[in-house]
Amino acid sequence: MLKTRRILLGISRSYTAKTKRSVLAQDKSKIKEYSPKTTDSHEHRVYVWGFQETGALGLQTNVKKAKERYTEMVHHPTRLQFSNNNEITDVAAGYGFTVYAVNRDDGETLFGSGLNTDSQLGFQVKGNPNDPANLDVIIYPTAIKLPRVQGETDEDMRVKSMSAGRAHLVVLTQNGTIFTLGNNSYGQCGRSIIEEERYSKSALIHRISQEDICGKEDEVVQVECGQDHSMFLTKKGRIYTCGWGADGQTGQGNYHTAGQITLIGGDVEKEKIVRLSCSSDCVLALNEAGDAFGWGNSEYGQLDDSELAETQINIPRALKLTKSIGKIKDVAAGGSFCMALNDQGLVYTWGFGILGFGPFQRNNSGFPSGCGVFHMGAVNSDGDLFMWGKNRFGHLGLGHKKDQFFPFKAAINGKVTKVAYGVDHTIALCKTFF
Amino acid sequence: MEITLALIKPHVVRNTYAMQQIRALISQNFTVLDQKEVCITKELSERFYAEHKGKYFYHRLTSFMNSGPSYALILQSEACIQKWRSLLGPTKVFRAVYADPNCIRSLYGLSDTRNACHGSDSEESALREISILFPEFDAAVGRRQAKREEA
Repeated sequence: MLKTRRILLGISRSYTAKTKRSVLAQDKSKIKEYSPKTTDSHEHRVYVWGFQETGALGLQTNVKKAKERYTEMVHHPTRLQFSNNNEITDVAAGYGFTVYAVNRDDGETLFGSGLNTDSQLGFQVKGNPNDPANLDVIIYPTAIKLPRVQGETDEDMRVKSMSAGRAHLVVLTQNGTIFTLGNNSYGQCGRSIIEEERYSKSALIHRISQEDICGKEDEVVQVECGQDHSMFLTKKGRIYTCGWGADGQTGQGNYHTAGQITLIGGDVEKEKIVRLSCSSDCVLALNEAGDAFGWGNSEYGQLDDSELAETQINIPRALKLTKSIGKIKDVAAGGSFCMALNDQGLVYTWGFGILGFGPFQRNNSGFPSGCGVFHMGAVNSDGDLFMWGKNRFGHLGLGHKKDQFFPFKAAINGKVTKVAYGVDHTIALCKTFF
Repeated sequence: MEITLALIKPHVVRNTYAMQQIRALISQNFTVLDQKEVCITKELSERFYAEHKGKYFYHRLTSFMNSGPSYALILQSEACIQKWRSLLGPTKVFRAVYADPNCIRSLYGLSDTRNACHGSDSEESALREISILFPEFDAAVGRRQAKREEA
């Protein structure tokens, strides 16, 4: 028995070796070398996931088809068709809407989809031009026409920075003009509040020149919106704010609400601020030296967790909490939690909610980590996006509806360069692997 | 039968989908006696939230309500004050999303202030709040109507 088996094995072995040899003898010139097919020549591609009923994902092209779709949420990162046809350079997410900065031949630079009930995506109508029907929900990215003054070129209108709040949108263009759209009931659009103004079907896009905010010697480099307030960061590191201040989130030293854009002081007065982050009512700022500052809502100890700490801080304050983690490279503020990335590539989170303590790889890239109101994410040096937190309407993109308690990689076919964290959806701007 | 006041806050009224879902939930569970869109001015909300006067969130609560039109409904059913409040879930949204993930507030609330809806907490405050938002509504008439429908 043992003998026969050995013989059989011997036979099969010599047989395999022979075939192998014949493969090796093949003509090498006939072996195909793999080269990736580029069906899409654009530098960036966009993946979207989360709640789709509001149209914020922009995945549907047809209202009838949209009604036949199976689910109200998209659990997996899904490639946005719109990004295949357009060169998208930046993304921003608000509550139920998304905006895209685009480079196009026809000169349009800004597109948006989702909820438009406060005209945060501009005046959008369809049908008969004499009797147009207003669009409250836009299901596919549509051009938002920025009003130009004479002599402004397409290049001038390219988007430099943009941010979206609960129902308003702030866009900064290359020539230093700021456009604000949408709800202004707290002055978050940087204009005076009009009692009982109707925001639905409004064609108003407010235009502010950066000179009017920070004078001729300085320029605005970043705009950042909380849910109901707006902030402008300049090259010299100054911060200007406007909007709802009931939690002190405007940092003006009071709890007022105003459309007047005002320079803020406190502990940031003499600092050169390089980054601002806010997604709800708590604001974090970062200076050149890597120290963090904060103001606004602190009900969950985000800004100060000592006993007898105030729940609302109305003036920028240097954070004691982050003193021990070294030089900070990036900060992000969520609804009830905050996060910071230090120069060692370590991500720190604090506050209330699912903070994602667990095994995590170092984030060496200096690439953004970020917060939505209910979820957080971080990108590592390979461009992989890790998500954790409350899985509201599947906006973690992990393929299920369960909450994620430690950072988990989202399956995205590209290197993530920027993530826009909405309230119930997420948008990732990616580069191709090749 | 009890009556209560349900107030859908401005940010949910602007979200067409959330509005649909909440209205469907209401029509499944309650009889709607009266409903209307109201603009809650600063003055109106100060009267409405008089009980919270002096608390740190009073100012933000009253100023939040005038960001747009709200939607007010008078609901009626057996034990509807409790029923509506349990559909709403915990007041604080950041806590509600973990404590009761399927309630109205964790689905459509945005932050502790922007907590989607309001519900009266007792029979007494229900009548008080209804009289502020629906001055023309007569609770006694409402009750009689309901009895007639039952009979």
